[in-house]
Amino acid sequence: MAKTKQKGNALIYVMTGIFMAILCVAVSIALLTVPYEKAQTYLNIIFMNQERFTADQGLVITENENISTDLPSGDMEETGEIIRPSFGEQYAVLRCEAAQIEVPVYWGSSAELLDRGACQSSASTVLGETGNAVIDAHVNTFFANLTQIEPGDEIVLFTEYGVFTYTAREQVTFQNTDKKYILPTENDQLTLYTCEAQVLGTSTTRVGVVCDLKSKLFYPGEGAAE
Amino acid sequence: MKKIRLYLPNVLLTFLLVFALLGTECVLFAKYVVLNADTFRTVAEEQDLKTKAYATLEKEFTSNANTTGIPAEVFLDPVDTDALHQGILDSVSQAFDYLNGKSSDYAFTMDFTELENAVNTFFSDYAEENGYEKDEAYDEKVTSAISSAESRILFVADTFKLSTIYRNGWLEKAKKYIGYLNPAAMGMIAVTAALLVLLIVCNRKQMAHLAYWLGLASAIAGLLLLLPCIYLTATDYFTAFVMSDPQIFAAVVGFLQLLTGRAMLMAGITAGIGILLLVLFGILRHKAASDSQQSSPDDGN
Repeated sequence: MAKTKQKGNALIYVMTGIFMAILCVAVSIALLTVPYEKAQTYLNIIFMNQERFTADQGLVITENENISTDLPSGDMEETGEIIRPSFGEQYAVLRCEAAQIEVPVYWGSSAELLDRGACQSSASTVLGETGNAVIDAHVNTFFANLTQIEPGDEIVLFTEYGVFTYTAREQVTFQNTDKKYILPTENDQLTLYTCEAQVLGTSTTRVGVVCDLKSKLFYPGEGAAE
Repeated sequence: MKKIRLYLPNVLLTFLLVFALLGTECVLFAKYVVLNADTFRTVAEEQDLKTKAYATLEKEFTSNANTTGIPAEVFLDPVDTDALHQGILDSVSQAFDYLNGKSSDYAFTMDFTELENAVNTFFSDYAEENGYEKDEAYDEKVTSAISSAESRILFVADTFKLSTIYRNGWLEKAKKYIGYLNPAAMGMIAVTAALLVLLIVCNRKQMAHLAYWLGLASAIAGLLLLLPCIYLTATDYFTAFVMSDPQIFAAVVGFLQLLTGRAMLMAGITAGIGILLLVLFGILRHKAASDSQQSSPDDGN
Protein backbone atom coordinates (compact mmCIF):
# COMPACT_ATOMS: atom_id res chain seq x y z
CA MET A 1 0.00 0.00 0.00
CA ALA A 2 2.82 2.36 1.04
CA LYS A 3 4.82 1.43 -2.10
CA THR A 4 1.85 2.23 -4.36
CA LYS A 5 1.44 5.56 -2.60
CA GLN A 6 5.16 6.29 -3.07
CA LYS A 7 4.94 5.46 -6.78
CA GLY A 8 1.93 7.74 -7.10
CA ASN A 9 3.81 10.56 -5.39
CA ALA A 10 6.85 10.05 -7.63
CA LEU A 11 4.63 10.28 -10.70
CA ILE A 12 3.16 13.54 -9.38
CA TYR A 13 6.68 14.97 -8.88
CA VAL A 14 7.74 13.97 -12.40
CA MET A 15 4.53 15.24 -13.99
CA THR A 16 4.78 18.49 -12.03
CA GLY A 17 8.31 18.99 -13.35
CA ILE A 18 7.23 18.36 -16.96
CA PHE A 19 4.17 20.60 -16.57
CA MET A 20 6.27 23.41 -15.08
CA ALA A 21 8.86 23.12 -17.84
CA ILE A 22 6.19 23.23 -20.58
CA LEU A 23 4.45 26.16 -18.88
CA CYS A 24 7.68 28.17 -18.55
CA VAL A 25 8.70 27.46 -22.16
CA ALA A 26 5.24 28.50 -23.38
CA VAL A 27 5.31 31.72 -21.35
CA SER A 28 8.84 32.49 -22.56
CA ILE A 29 7.83 31.97 -26.20
CA ALA A 30 4.77 34.17 -25.71
CA LEU A 31 6.86 36.91 -24.11
CA LEU A 32 9.60 36.79 -26.74
CA THR A 33 7.47 36.48 -29.88
CA VAL A 34 6.80 40.19 -30.37
CA PRO A 35 10.41 41.39 -29.70
CA TYR A 36 11.74 38.60 -31.93
CA GLU A 37 9.42 39.56 -34.78
CA LYS A 38 10.57 43.17 -34.48
CA ALA A 39 14.24 42.15 -34.48
CA GLN A 40 13.93 39.43 -37.12
CA THR A 41 14.44 41.70 -40.13
CA TYR A 42 17.56 43.25 -38.62
CA LEU A 43 18.91 39.86 -37.58
CA ASN A 44 18.32 38.49 -41.08
CA ILE A 45 20.27 41.41 -42.56
CA ILE A 46 23.10 41.34 -40.02
CA PHE A 47 23.54 37.56 -40.21
CA MET A 48 22.70 37.03 -43.88
CA ASN A 49 26.06 35.72 -45.05
CA GLN A 50 25.23 32.07 -45.55
CA GLU A 51 28.64 31.57 -47.19
CA ARG A 52 30.09 31.74 -43.64
CA PHE A 53 33.12 33.97 -44.08
CA THR A 54 36.44 32.74 -42.77
CA ALA A 55 39.71 34.63 -42.71
CA ASP A 56 41.14 32.33 -45.41
CA GLN A 57 38.40 33.13 -47.87
CA GLY A 58 38.01 36.26 -49.93
CA LEU A 59 38.55 37.32 -53.52
CA VAL A 60 39.60 34.44 -55.77
CA ILE A 61 42.08 35.73 -58.33
CA THR A 62 42.63 33.50 -61.36
CA GLU A 63 45.54 33.88 -63.75
CA ASN A 64 44.92 32.72 -67.32
CA GLU A 65 47.75 31.06 -69.19
CA ASN A 66 45.58 30.17 -72.19
CA ILE A 67 45.62 33.67 -73.65
CA SER A 68 47.80 33.85 -76.72
CA THR A 69 49.33 37.26 -77.46
CA ASP A 70 50.23 36.33 -81.03
CA LEU A 71 48.63 38.51 -83.63
CA PRO A 72 45.78 36.78 -85.48
CA SER A 73 46.62 34.54 -88.40
CA GLY A 74 44.33 33.69 -91.32
CA ASP A 75 42.09 31.11 -89.64
CA MET A 76 40.04 33.58 -87.55
CA GLU A 77 36.29 34.17 -87.74
CA GLU A 78 34.28 37.38 -87.50
CA THR A 79 31.76 35.84 -85.13
CA GLY A 80 32.27 33.44 -82.32
CA GLU A 81 31.42 32.37 -78.81
CA ILE A 82 32.25 34.80 -76.01
CA ILE A 83 33.53 33.25 -72.79
CA ARG A 84 32.11 35.35 -69.97
CA PRO A 85 34.72 35.73 -67.21
CA SER A 86 34.12 35.47 -63.48
CA PHE A 87 35.05 38.22 -61.00
CA GLY A 88 38.77 38.22 -60.32
CA GLU A 89 39.64 36.22 -63.44
CA GLN A 90 42.32 37.42 -65.82
CA TYR A 91 40.52 37.32 -69.14
CA ALA A 92 42.55 39.51 -71.47
CA VAL A 93 45.93 41.02 -72.22
CA LEU A 94 46.00 44.65 -73.35
CA ARG A 95 48.79 45.80 -75.64
CA CYS A 96 49.55 49.26 -77.02
CA GLU A 97 52.90 49.35 -78.72
CA ALA A 98 52.80 53.14 -79.22
CA ALA A 99 52.74 53.71 -75.44
CA GLN A 100 54.70 50.56 -74.56
CA ILE A 101 51.86 49.15 -72.54
CA GLU A 102 51.29 45.39 -72.13
CA VAL A 103 49.19 44.49 -69.14
CA PRO A 104 46.93 41.63 -67.96
CA VAL A 105 43.28 42.61 -67.70
CA TYR A 106 41.15 41.24 -64.85
CA TRP A 107 37.38 41.13 -64.79
CA GLY A 108 36.05 43.28 -61.95
CA SER A 109 37.83 45.90 -59.91
CA SER A 110 39.40 45.74 -56.46
CA ALA A 111 42.59 46.88 -54.75
CA GLU A 112 44.07 43.37 -55.07
CA LEU A 113 43.32 43.19 -58.80
CA LEU A 114 44.64 46.71 -59.43
CA ASP A 115 47.91 45.58 -57.85
CA ARG A 116 48.16 42.83 -60.47
CA GLY A 117 47.13 44.61 -63.62
CA ALA A 118 44.35 46.55 -65.30
CA CYS A 119 40.73 46.00 -64.31
CA GLN A 120 37.68 45.96 -66.50
CA SER A 121 34.52 47.15 -64.79
CA SER A 122 32.09 44.24 -64.50
CA ALA A 123 29.33 46.77 -65.31
CA SER A 124 30.85 47.33 -68.74
CA THR A 125 30.66 45.27 -71.92
CA VAL A 126 32.59 42.01 -72.29
CA LEU A 127 34.98 42.21 -75.22
CA GLY A 128 33.24 40.98 -78.35
CA GLU A 129 29.81 42.27 -77.34
CA THR A 130 28.49 45.62 -78.54
CA GLY A 131 28.98 48.48 -76.08
CA ASN A 132 31.55 50.25 -73.95
CA ALA A 133 34.40 48.17 -72.48
CA VAL A 134 35.87 50.22 -69.62
CA ILE A 135 39.34 49.40 -68.33
CA ASP A 136 41.37 51.24 -65.70
CA ALA A 137 44.67 50.77 -63.88
CA HIS A 138 46.96 52.65 -61.50
CA VAL A 139 48.83 55.64 -62.91
CA ASN A 140 52.01 54.80 -61.02
CA THR A 141 52.14 51.26 -62.38
CA PHE A 142 50.44 49.73 -65.41
CA PHE A 143 48.91 52.88 -66.94
CA ALA A 144 51.84 55.21 -66.29
CA ASN A 145 52.14 55.74 -70.07
CA LEU A 146 48.44 55.97 -70.84
CA THR A 147 48.57 59.67 -71.70
CA GLN A 148 51.13 58.84 -74.40
CA ILE A 149 48.43 57.18 -76.49
CA GLU A 150 47.62 59.52 -79.36
CA PRO A 151 44.54 59.47 -81.60
CA GLY A 152 45.13 56.87 -84.33
CA ASP A 153 47.27 54.58 -82.15
CA GLU A 154 46.27 50.94 -82.09
CA ILE A 155 45.27 49.04 -78.95
CA VAL A 156 44.92 45.25 -79.12
CA LEU A 157 43.13 43.10 -76.57
CA PHE A 158 43.86 39.37 -76.61
CA THR A 159 41.41 37.01 -74.97
CA GLU A 160 41.00 33.27 -74.80
CA TYR A 161 38.26 33.45 -77.44
CA GLY A 162 39.42 36.20 -79.78
CA VAL A 163 41.51 39.25 -80.61
CA PHE A 164 39.97 42.75 -80.59
CA THR A 165 41.70 45.72 -82.15
CA TYR A 166 40.77 49.32 -81.39
CA THR A 167 41.96 52.69 -82.69
CA ALA A 168 42.36 55.60 -80.28
CA ARG A 169 39.82 58.33 -81.12
CA GLU A 170 40.41 61.02 -78.48
CA GLN A 171 42.16 61.75 -75.21
CA VAL A 172 39.76 62.70 -72.43
CA THR A 173 39.95 64.33 -68.99
CA PHE A 174 37.11 64.11 -66.49
CA GLN A 175 36.35 64.25 -62.77
CA ASN A 176 35.98 61.01 -60.82
CA THR A 177 32.33 61.90 -60.21
CA ASP A 178 31.62 62.28 -63.93
CA LYS A 179 30.28 59.00 -65.31
CA LYS A 180 30.04 60.21 -68.93
CA TYR A 181 32.86 58.07 -70.29
CA ILE A 182 32.12 54.92 -68.36
CA LEU A 183 28.42 54.62 -69.14
CA PRO A 184 27.18 51.99 -71.65
CA THR A 185 27.24 53.03 -75.30
CA GLU A 186 25.44 51.82 -78.41
CA ASN A 187 28.61 51.68 -80.48
CA ASP A 188 31.58 49.38 -79.97
CA GLN A 189 34.17 51.32 -78.00
CA LEU A 190 36.93 50.88 -75.51
CA THR A 191 37.58 53.42 -72.73
CA LEU A 192 40.89 53.32 -70.90
CA TYR A 193 41.49 55.63 -67.96
CA THR A 194 43.62 56.24 -64.92
CA CYS A 195 44.20 58.92 -62.26
CA GLU A 196 45.88 62.14 -63.29
CA ALA A 197 49.52 61.87 -62.28
CA GLN A 198 50.30 63.85 -59.14
CA VAL A 199 53.66 64.49 -57.55
CA LEU A 200 52.36 63.11 -54.26
CA GLY A 201 48.85 62.29 -53.14
CA THR A 202 45.72 61.41 -55.08
CA SER A 203 43.86 63.35 -57.71
CA THR A 204 40.13 63.53 -58.36
CA THR A 205 40.84 64.09 -62.05
CA ARG A 206 40.87 61.13 -64.42
CA VAL A 207 42.68 61.00 -67.74
CA GLY A 208 42.04 58.50 -70.48
CA VAL A 209 41.53 57.62 -74.06
CA VAL A 210 38.40 56.57 -75.94
CA CYS A 211 38.92 54.09 -78.77
CA ASP A 212 36.76 52.75 -81.61
CA LEU A 213 36.60 49.10 -82.57
CA LYS A 214 38.66 48.40 -85.68
CA SER A 215 38.27 44.63 -85.87
CA LYS A 216 37.04 41.71 -83.83
CA LEU A 217 38.29 38.26 -84.63
CA PHE A 218 37.27 35.05 -82.90
CA TYR A 219 39.20 31.84 -82.70
CA PRO A 220 37.41 29.06 -84.60
CA GLY A 221 35.55 26.35 -82.70
CA GLU A 222 34.89 26.67 -78.98
CA GLY A 223 36.88 29.87 -78.68
CA ALA A 224 40.05 28.33 -77.27
CA ALA A 225 43.26 30.14 -78.15
CA GLU A 226 45.49 27.09 -77.87
CA MET B 1 -6.48 18.49 1.33
CA LYS B 2 -3.61 20.06 3.25
CA LYS B 3 -1.22 18.75 0.61
CA ILE B 4 -3.18 20.38 -2.20
CA ARG B 5 -3.25 23.61 -0.24
CA LEU B 6 0.56 23.49 -0.15
CA TYR B 7 1.01 22.13 -3.69
CA LEU B 8 -0.65 25.01 -5.54
CA PRO B 9 1.32 27.83 -3.78
CA ASN B 10 4.51 25.84 -4.38
CA VAL B 11 3.74 25.57 -8.11
CA LEU B 12 2.99 29.28 -8.33
CA LEU B 13 6.08 30.30 -6.32
CA THR B 14 8.32 28.00 -8.38
CA PHE B 15 6.90 29.38 -11.62
CA LEU B 16 7.61 32.94 -10.45
CA LEU B 17 11.02 31.93 -9.16
CA VAL B 18 12.00 30.59 -12.62
CA PHE B 19 11.47 34.02 -14.17
CA ALA B 20 12.93 35.85 -11.17
CA LEU B 21 16.09 33.73 -11.50
CA LEU B 22 16.18 34.37 -15.27
CA GLY B 23 15.73 38.09 -14.74
CA THR B 24 18.43 38.23 -12.09
CA GLU B 25 20.82 36.30 -14.33
CA CYS B 26 20.11 38.56 -17.31
CA VAL B 27 20.57 41.80 -15.37
CA LEU B 28 23.78 40.60 -13.71
CA PHE B 29 25.00 39.27 -17.08
CA ALA B 30 24.37 42.63 -18.74
CA LYS B 31 26.09 44.49 -15.90
CA TYR B 32 29.15 42.30 -15.37
CA VAL B 33 29.71 40.71 -18.80
CA VAL B 34 28.09 42.67 -21.66
CA LEU B 35 28.74 46.19 -20.39
CA ASN B 36 32.17 45.41 -19.05
CA ALA B 37 35.30 46.82 -20.70
CA ASP B 38 37.22 43.66 -19.69
CA THR B 39 35.00 41.56 -21.98
CA PHE B 40 36.01 43.72 -24.95
CA ARG B 41 39.67 43.55 -23.91
CA THR B 42 39.46 39.75 -23.68
CA VAL B 43 38.01 39.60 -27.21
CA ALA B 44 40.80 41.87 -28.47
CA GLU B 45 43.37 39.47 -26.99
CA GLU B 46 41.68 36.20 -27.93
CA GLN B 47 40.93 37.23 -31.52
CA ASP B 48 44.34 38.85 -32.02
CA LEU B 49 42.63 41.96 -33.36
CA LYS B 50 45.85 43.97 -33.51
CA THR B 51 47.38 41.61 -36.09
CA LYS B 52 44.20 41.58 -38.21
CA ALA B 53 43.91 45.37 -38.01
CA TYR B 54 47.57 45.81 -38.96
CA ALA B 55 47.19 43.45 -41.94
CA THR B 56 44.22 45.53 -43.15
CA LEU B 57 46.21 48.75 -42.83
CA GLU B 58 49.20 47.19 -44.56
CA LYS B 59 46.99 46.13 -47.47
CA GLU B 60 45.32 49.54 -47.75
CA PHE B 61 48.46 51.64 -47.53
CA THR B 62 50.33 49.35 -49.95
CA SER B 63 47.49 49.58 -52.44
CA ASN B 64 47.17 53.35 -51.98
CA ALA B 65 50.88 53.76 -52.67
CA ASN B 66 50.12 52.98 -56.31
CA THR B 67 47.95 56.04 -56.62
CA THR B 68 49.51 58.44 -54.10
CA GLY B 69 53.15 57.65 -54.72
CA ILE B 70 53.72 57.71 -50.95
CA PRO B 71 55.38 54.45 -49.86
CA ALA B 72 53.31 52.39 -47.40
CA GLU B 73 56.22 52.33 -44.93
CA VAL B 74 55.82 56.07 -44.30
CA PHE B 75 52.50 55.32 -42.61
CA LEU B 76 53.17 51.79 -41.40
CA ASP B 77 56.52 52.25 -39.68
CA PRO B 78 55.19 54.62 -36.97
CA VAL B 79 52.09 52.45 -36.42
CA ASP B 80 53.11 48.97 -35.28
CA THR B 81 50.87 46.23 -33.90
CA ASP B 82 51.50 47.37 -30.30
CA ALA B 83 50.33 50.89 -31.13
CA LEU B 84 47.23 49.43 -32.80
CA HIS B 85 46.59 47.18 -29.80
CA GLN B 86 46.79 50.21 -27.53
CA GLY B 87 44.46 52.04 -29.93
CA ILE B 88 41.90 49.21 -29.78
CA LEU B 89 42.05 49.20 -25.95
CA ASP B 90 41.79 53.01 -25.88
CA SER B 91 38.70 52.94 -28.10
CA VAL B 92 37.06 50.65 -25.52
CA SER B 93 38.29 52.59 -22.46
CA GLN B 94 37.18 55.92 -23.92
CA ALA B 95 33.73 54.48 -24.74
CA PHE B 96 33.35 53.15 -21.19
CA ASP B 97 34.53 56.46 -19.75
CA TYR B 98 31.64 58.01 -21.64
CA LEU B 99 29.21 55.29 -20.55
CA ASN B 100 30.22 55.65 -16.91
CA GLY B 101 29.96 59.44 -17.02
CA LYS B 102 33.72 60.09 -16.72
CA SER B 103 33.67 62.05 -19.98
CA SER B 104 30.90 64.07 -21.57
CA ASP B 105 31.39 62.78 -25.12
CA TYR B 106 33.12 60.02 -27.04
CA ALA B 107 35.78 61.08 -29.53
CA PHE B 108 38.15 58.19 -30.12
CA THR B 109 41.63 59.34 -30.98
CA MET B 110 45.19 58.03 -30.87
CA ASP B 111 48.60 59.58 -30.53
CA PHE B 112 49.76 60.33 -34.09
CA THR B 113 52.85 62.40 -33.28
CA GLU B 114 55.21 59.82 -34.81
CA LEU B 115 53.06 59.43 -37.91
CA GLU B 116 52.85 63.19 -38.45
CA ASN B 117 56.62 63.49 -38.07
CA ALA B 118 57.19 60.62 -40.51
CA VAL B 119 54.88 62.12 -43.17
CA ASN B 120 56.38 65.59 -42.72
CA THR B 121 59.90 64.17 -43.03
CA PHE B 122 58.99 62.16 -46.14
CA PHE B 123 57.38 65.14 -47.88
CA SER B 124 60.22 67.44 -46.88
CA ASP B 125 62.90 65.01 -48.12
CA TYR B 126 60.96 64.45 -51.33
CA ALA B 127 60.59 68.19 -51.94
CA GLU B 128 64.30 68.80 -51.36
CA GLU B 129 65.41 65.90 -53.56
CA ASN B 130 63.09 66.83 -56.42
CA GLY B 131 63.20 70.60 -56.13
CA TYR B 132 59.51 70.74 -55.26
CA GLU B 133 58.43 74.14 -53.99
CA LYS B 134 57.08 74.16 -50.42
CA ASP B 135 54.15 76.38 -51.18
CA GLU B 136 50.50 76.36 -50.17
CA ALA B 137 49.77 73.35 -52.38
CA TYR B 138 52.61 71.46 -50.69
CA ASP B 139 51.17 72.22 -47.24
CA GLU B 140 47.74 71.09 -48.41
CA LYS B 141 49.18 67.81 -49.68
CA VAL B 142 50.95 67.16 -46.36
CA THR B 143 47.84 67.98 -44.34
CA SER B 144 45.63 65.87 -46.61
CA ALA B 145 48.02 62.88 -46.46
CA ILE B 146 48.19 63.04 -42.64
CA SER B 147 44.47 63.51 -42.16
CA SER B 148 43.57 60.72 -44.59
CA ALA B 149 46.03 58.30 -42.94
CA GLU B 150 44.83 59.18 -39.44
CA SER B 151 41.18 58.66 -40.31
CA ARG B 152 41.99 55.26 -41.88
CA ILE B 153 43.99 54.16 -38.84
CA LEU B 154 41.25 55.28 -36.44
CA PHE B 155 38.64 53.48 -38.55
CA VAL B 156 40.64 50.25 -38.54
CA ALA B 157 41.61 50.49 -34.84
CA ASP B 158 37.98 51.00 -33.87
CA THR B 159 37.34 47.29 -34.36
CA PHE B 160 34.15 47.25 -32.27
CA LYS B 161 32.79 50.21 -34.29
CA LEU B 162 32.13 52.14 -31.09
CA SER B 163 32.44 55.46 -32.98
CA THR B 164 29.63 54.37 -35.32
CA ILE B 165 27.57 53.24 -32.33
CA TYR B 166 28.17 56.62 -30.70
CA ARG B 167 27.33 58.59 -33.87
CA ASN B 168 24.02 56.72 -34.16
CA GLY B 169 23.12 57.67 -30.60
CA TRP B 170 23.15 54.08 -29.32
CA LEU B 171 25.95 54.74 -26.84
CA GLU B 172 23.88 57.55 -25.34
CA LYS B 173 20.91 55.18 -25.00
CA ALA B 174 23.15 52.57 -23.39
CA LYS B 175 24.40 55.24 -20.96
CA LYS B 176 20.81 55.84 -19.82
CA TYR B 177 20.13 52.13 -19.36
CA ILE B 178 23.36 51.59 -17.42
CA GLY B 179 21.91 53.91 -14.78
CA TYR B 180 18.98 51.53 -14.34
CA LEU B 181 21.12 48.40 -14.09
CA ASN B 182 22.04 48.71 -10.39
CA PRO B 183 18.46 49.33 -9.20
CA ALA B 184 17.26 46.57 -11.57
CA ALA B 185 19.83 44.13 -10.18
CA MET B 186 18.90 45.03 -6.60
CA GLY B 187 15.20 44.69 -7.43
CA MET B 188 15.60 41.30 -9.11
CA ILE B 189 17.75 39.97 -6.25
CA ALA B 190 15.15 41.21 -3.74
CA VAL B 191 12.30 39.54 -5.66
CA THR B 192 14.25 36.29 -5.93
CA ALA B 193 15.10 36.40 -2.22
CA ALA B 194 11.46 37.10 -1.30
CA LEU B 195 10.26 34.14 -3.39
CA LEU B 196 12.90 31.93 -1.78
CA VAL B 197 11.75 32.95 1.69
CA LEU B 198 8.12 32.23 0.77
CA LEU B 199 9.11 28.81 -0.57
CA ILE B 200 11.02 28.08 2.66
CA VAL B 201 7.99 29.15 4.71
CA CYS B 202 5.69 26.94 2.65
CA ASN B 203 7.98 23.93 3.05
CA ARG B 204 9.31 24.59 6.54
CA LYS B 205 7.98 21.26 7.81
CA GLN B 206 9.28 19.28 4.83
CA MET B 207 12.68 20.60 3.90
CA ALA B 208 13.16 17.79 1.35
CA HIS B 209 10.32 19.28 -0.66
CA LEU B 210 12.08 22.65 -0.58
CA ALA B 211 14.98 20.98 -2.42
CA TYR B 212 12.50 19.72 -5.04
CA TRP B 213 10.87 23.07 -5.74
CA LEU B 214 14.14 25.00 -5.68
CA GLY B 215 15.77 22.37 -7.86
CA LEU B 216 12.89 22.51 -10.32
CA ALA B 217 13.03 26.32 -10.56
CA SER B 218 16.78 26.36 -10.95
CA ALA B 219 16.88 23.54 -13.51
CA ILE B 220 14.14 25.11 -15.67
CA ALA B 221 15.69 28.61 -15.47
CA GLY B 222 19.07 27.15 -16.45
CA LEU B 223 17.68 25.10 -19.34
CA LEU B 224 15.60 28.01 -20.68
CA LEU B 225 18.82 29.97 -21.16
CA LEU B 226 21.05 27.01 -22.01
CA LEU B 227 19.03 25.68 -24.96
CA PRO B 228 19.14 28.88 -27.10
CA CYS B 229 22.87 29.15 -26.35
CA ILE B 230 23.41 25.57 -27.49
CA TYR B 231 21.44 26.33 -30.69
CA LEU B 232 23.54 29.46 -31.41
CA THR B 233 26.76 27.56 -30.83
CA ALA B 234 25.78 24.40 -32.71
CA THR B 235 24.58 26.30 -35.80
CA ASP B 236 27.55 28.68 -35.72
CA TYR B 237 24.91 31.38 -36.08
CA PHE B 238 27.16 34.42 -35.62
CA THR B 239 29.62 33.45 -38.35
CA ALA B 240 26.93 34.49 -40.86
CA PHE B 241 27.78 38.07 -39.87
CA VAL B 242 27.64 40.15 -43.00
CA MET B 243 30.77 42.31 -42.48
CA SER B 244 33.82 40.65 -43.97
CA ASP B 245 36.54 43.12 -42.87
CA PRO B 246 38.73 40.66 -40.95
CA GLN B 247 39.24 42.84 -37.85
CA ILE B 248 35.58 43.90 -37.59
CA PHE B 249 34.34 40.38 -38.26
CA ALA B 250 36.67 38.92 -35.61
CA ALA B 251 35.74 41.61 -33.08
CA VAL B 252 31.97 41.38 -33.48
CA VAL B 253 31.71 37.61 -33.93
CA GLY B 254 34.32 37.01 -31.21
CA PHE B 255 32.38 39.27 -28.84
CA LEU B 256 29.04 37.54 -29.53
CA GLN B 257 30.61 34.09 -29.22
CA LEU B 258 32.25 35.07 -25.94
CA LEU B 259 28.90 36.30 -24.61
CA THR B 260 27.23 33.06 -25.71
CA GLY B 261 29.97 31.03 -24.03
CA ARG B 262 29.67 32.96 -20.77
CA ALA B 263 25.86 32.77 -20.86
CA MET B 264 26.12 29.04 -21.48
CA LEU B 265 28.43 28.63 -18.49
CA MET B 266 26.09 30.64 -16.26
CA ALA B 267 23.03 28.73 -17.47
CA GLY B 268 24.87 25.43 -17.13
CA ILE B 269 25.79 26.17 -13.52
CA THR B 270 22.18 27.18 -12.73
CA ALA B 271 20.78 24.06 -14.38
CA GLY B 272 23.47 21.95 -12.68
CA ILE B 273 22.56 23.29 -9.24
CA GLY B 274 18.90 22.57 -10.00
CA ILE B 275 19.65 18.99 -11.04
CA LEU B 276 21.79 18.47 -7.93
CA LEU B 277 18.94 19.69 -5.73
CA LEU B 278 16.52 17.33 -7.51
CA VAL B 279 18.94 14.44 -6.98
CA LEU B 280 19.25 15.47 -3.31
CA PHE B 281 15.46 15.46 -3.06
CA GLY B 282 15.36 11.94 -4.54
CA ILE B 283 17.94 10.71 -2.05
CA LEU B 284 16.16 12.32 0.91
CA ARG B 285 12.83 10.88 -0.19
CA HIS B 286 14.32 7.43 -0.69
CA LYS B 287 15.96 7.62 2.75
CA ALA B 288 12.71 8.81 4.36
CA ALA B 289 10.82 5.93 2.69
CA SER B 290 13.42 3.39 3.91
CA ASP B 291 13.26 4.82 7.46
CA SER B 292 9.50 4.65 7.39
CA GLN B 293 9.56 1.00 6.20
CA GLN B 294 12.07 0.05 8.92
CA SER B 295 9.97 1.69 11.66
CA SER B 296 6.77 -0.19 10.55
CA PRO B 297 7.85 -3.67 9.26
CA ASP B 298 4.24 -4.85 8.92
CA ASP B 299 3.75 -2.50 6.00
CA GLY B 300 5.87 -4.79 3.83
CA ASN B 301 3.59 -7.88 4.37
